[in-house]
Amino acid sequence: MPIRKLSKLLINQIAAGEVIERPGSVVKELVENSLDAQATRIDVAVEDGGRQLIRISDDGHGIPPDELPLSVEPHATSKLTAAEQLAAIGTLGFRGEALASIASVSRLRITSRATADGKAAEAGAALEASGDTVGQVTPWAGAPGTVLEVRDLFLNTPARRKFLRTAPTEFGHINDTLKRIAMVHHQVAFKLSHNGKTVFDLPADQDQALRCVSLLGKDLEDELMLFEHEDLPDRGGARLWGLAGQPSIARATGKGQYLCVNGRPIKDRNLAHAVKEAYRGLMPMDRFPVAVVFIEIDPHAVDVNVHPAKAEVRFRNPSHVHGLVLSAVRQRLLGSDLTPSASLARQGGFQDSNFRGVGPGGTPQAPGAGAGLSPNVSTDAFVDFFKRMDPREKGFAYQEVRKALAAEDPSAIESDEASLMPSANDSSTQAPGASLKPQTVLQVHKSYLVTQDDDGLVIVDQHALHERVMFETLRNRVLGEGKPLESQRLLMPVIVDADADQQATLEQMQPLLEKIGVELAPIGPEAVAVHAFPSFLFDRGVEPDTFITDLVTKADAGQLDLSNPNVQESALHEVLDMMSCKAAVKAGDKMTEDELSELLAKRHEIDRSSNCPHGRPTTLRLTLKDLEKQFGRT
Amino acid sequence: MKVICDRGALVESLNVIGGVVAARTPRAALTCVKLSAGPDGLSLSATDGEISLRLGTARVETSEPGEALVPADKLQQIVRESIDPTLTLHTEQDVAHITGQDSKFKVFGQPVADFPAIPQFKGDADFEVTAGELHRLIAMTIFATARENSRYAINGVLLERDKKKLVVVATDGHRLALAKGTCKPATDEAASAIVPTKALNLLLRLFDDADQTVRVKIADNQILFATDQAELSSNLVEGNFPPYKDVVPKDGDKKAALSTDLFISGVRRAALLTNEESKGVRMAFAPDGLTLRSRAPEMGEAEINVDLAEFVGEPIEIGFNPGYLLDALKVVDENQVHLEFKAPNKPGVLRTGPNFLYVIMPVNLQ
Repeated sequence: MPIRKLSKLLINQIAAGEVIERPGSVVKELVENSLDAQATRIDVAVEDGGRQLIRISDDGHGIPPDELPLSVEPHATSKLTAAEQLAAIGTLGFRGEALASIASVSRLRITSRATADGKAAEAGAALEASGDTVGQVTPWAGAPGTVLEVRDLFLNTPARRKFLRTAPTEFGHINDTLKRIAMVHHQVAFKLSHNGKTVFDLPADQDQALRCVSLLGKDLEDELMLFEHEDLPDRGGARLWGLAGQPSIARATGKGQYLCVNGRPIKDRNLAHAVKEAYRGLMPMDRFPVAVVFIEIDPHAVDVNVHPAKAEVRFRNPSHVHGLVLSAVRQRLLGSDLTPSASLARQGGFQDSNFRGVGPGGTPQAPGAGAGLSPNVSTDAFVDFFKRMDPREKGFAYQEVRKALAAEDPSAIESDEASLMPSANDSSTQAPGASLKPQTVLQVHKSYLVTQDDDGLVIVDQHALHERVMFETLRNRVLGEGKPLESQRLLMPVIVDADADQQATLEQMQPLLEKIGVELAPIGPEAVAVHAFPSFLFDRGVEPDTFITDLVTKADAGQLDLSNPNVQESALHEVLDMMSCKAAVKAGDKMTEDELSELLAKRHEIDRSSNCPHGRPTTLRLTLKDLEKQFGRT
Repeated sequence: MKVICDRGALVESLNVIGGVVAARTPRAALTCVKLSAGPDGLSLSATDGEISLRLGTARVETSEPGEALVPADKLQQIVRESIDPTLTLHTEQDVAHITGQDSKFKVFGQPVADFPAIPQFKGDADFEVTAGELHRLIAMTIFATARENSRYAINGVLLERDKKKLVVVATDGHRLALAKGTCKPATDEAASAIVPTKALNLLLRLFDDADQTVRVKIADNQILFATDQAELSSNLVEGNFPPYKDVVPKDGDKKAALSTDLFISGVRRAALLTNEESKGVRMAFAPDGLTLRSRAPEMGEAEINVDLAEFVGEPIEIGFNPGYLLDALKVVDENQVHLEFKAPNKPGVLRTGPNFLYVIMPVNLQ
């Protein structure tokens, strides 16, 4: 077959294969165009999951009639003029492919009335294009802005059409796509309807947090915690803002996670990992936290021109961004009471309870705790709240106060700073939960501890809590102080069976073993000899042979990723977790009164005491309100 | 069966025998003590299936010989709480009547036939040893045994006899205690046995007179100890005791001697600032003395200086679990102890005279 140049239609169809994968991609491309055209209101109407019709109407600056034919040409765009711009892209689109691609696989109708210099043109124009035929520009009368109608998507690419899923599935993708975009562009009004029914209708100029909550679901508003972080200017000055969901609302898929970089919703495994890592030990590893993370970063530090659909970006320094997200989310979680309520009933609305968990330790929250959400609250209450905050949280919360003060009265900063700063280091500030001194402790069925705090009844899983306590102690020692665990040398080495493969695994784990105070060496082809073993494990009746055997089994099952040095920390976590699990009191162990109160006291001393290292909750709370309700006292 | 007993003597015997009786067992007979009244008095027997004890009790008047099985805990409680100088034990069928001046107890027992046969000391002893010597050997070692270790052998105590020499060894894998003594052998054949800790603990309670003779016999996977009033038999622990001679280091070139009391006091004080995760005490030996240091994160630190009576060799710094040191120092019967070290990751040795040796593994300190 002779070599021939592809026809224009074929080129566009191939390009469409990359950009226009399904109806959802059409919505994404066209809505991004609308946003680039400075629309303040975008209306998306879909029929039959987008197979019949996708109509995007906006009130943007439109396309002048004479430019209409060019708009459906490939590699034609108004957004990029010089190559230098590619290095720091400020618009959502820039490749000039979308309209041409869409036109090549559907029946596209563009109607637009342009606005230039704040003045709408007298009249608009319409253009129809389908496949390789482009119609004539005809006059059209309508409101300023652009309406794009995409009908019969993939009409000339039967294979693609055949692979479309059911209407609800395709609509689901459209919905998700639009949600992600709408979350970023909170100042723009969005409306989505399917087969004539409105799915959501968001007003313009919505507060960022309110917009997120509207999209995530009103019922979750109590379960979201606001976080904010600003990197040092000399380290790039990236700004982070977001919402972290309570571990109790984690989902089975990553769908509840929204990542945005410079106003662009993205998918990024690196950042998703950072978020998940921040929740390590607070939820089972097969769950995905609900979280929204917005990152504002120097455009030069991120490359969005990686993928035609622009769903992926590349950071110049991915590990730095990873670290920022991890620490911002982790800090937020550490400062919060994550004790799930034993009751399913949720009380309080968005306005009165603000973000649950914003207040440390579940203490009654100051008005204005969710300051990011209700900008009208008085700054005094705002400052007051942060004064009562855990010092650990104050670090970056203070920036928020400062900003708010500056917004209200720039001169107030100087005078207030002096009174605020000392309190940030005030050691007398109550630690979270310190006011919740348990009075009496009851051990039930040798497995659970029941006590009370200011809010009601507290039920603790003794094994889970003890496991967490041990884990944090070990973690502080190994990671915090950077010291290996104290290990007792053995008079006679303990011989553990291990074949060549297992010996190789253990060899690979050597640095890890060193940190936890295990010293072993092969002794013959079928066994290793343990020469030293952590002394606290001996005290807890954990024997070296069972421990080493379990460790090797775990590593063989792929639960310890040893190959990648970056994840050594998580492998160490796993091992420490295993140690604490083995050493902790078990369900069924009788505990003395002293042991009980000591364990409960530690609950307030350690981080993440709400969940055991596997992520299961350690503590449930039955509030007085719930009890009153159950007993019909209200 | 009918006997009149001195209550005080009976309480003492029941206290000892109560240590044998199985705590939880589905076999009711094993929770009982067997009473046997004969012309030469009353004897009490109990067993847990592994260890059996027969104990004669003094000051008893038998009016009607016979045997009976009575629940051990009830019998013990009744006799202990009674206020009479003497008590009458009278059994009919499986029912025991315990009668005092102002009290009458009726306790339902078990059929005598249900009680398992317990080993009897028959024939000559393998060797004889004074109660005092045996007590010393056991007390100096038994604390070092392992508890519920999967290597069963070290859950017991090793008794080794070679001619006149009697050696008792115990270890838990971290430290090893060894005591040497003498005995009067009846044969030249060397013998060794691993005895359960429980049996030896009971044995310690049997001796009221240090000069009395204990006859010992090892046969058929059992060891039997006999005095004039009591017989204790126990199954042996199966398995091989670790080769203890190999782990006793002989190359320690840093040697120290110091007062037992000063050392105990120093270690106890250093141990105050240790915790579960950081329990090691750092010991710096030098010609000018010993410095003990401990540090518990988030708690604090301690430093104690102890005079050394003698020091030979290079200075050394080595970490030990203070509990292990104190265990040994508590049983030491001389006022000076000798220590020997080779290196911070090699075992240390504590000795007093030729008869006690304690090997202790260090902890790794960073």
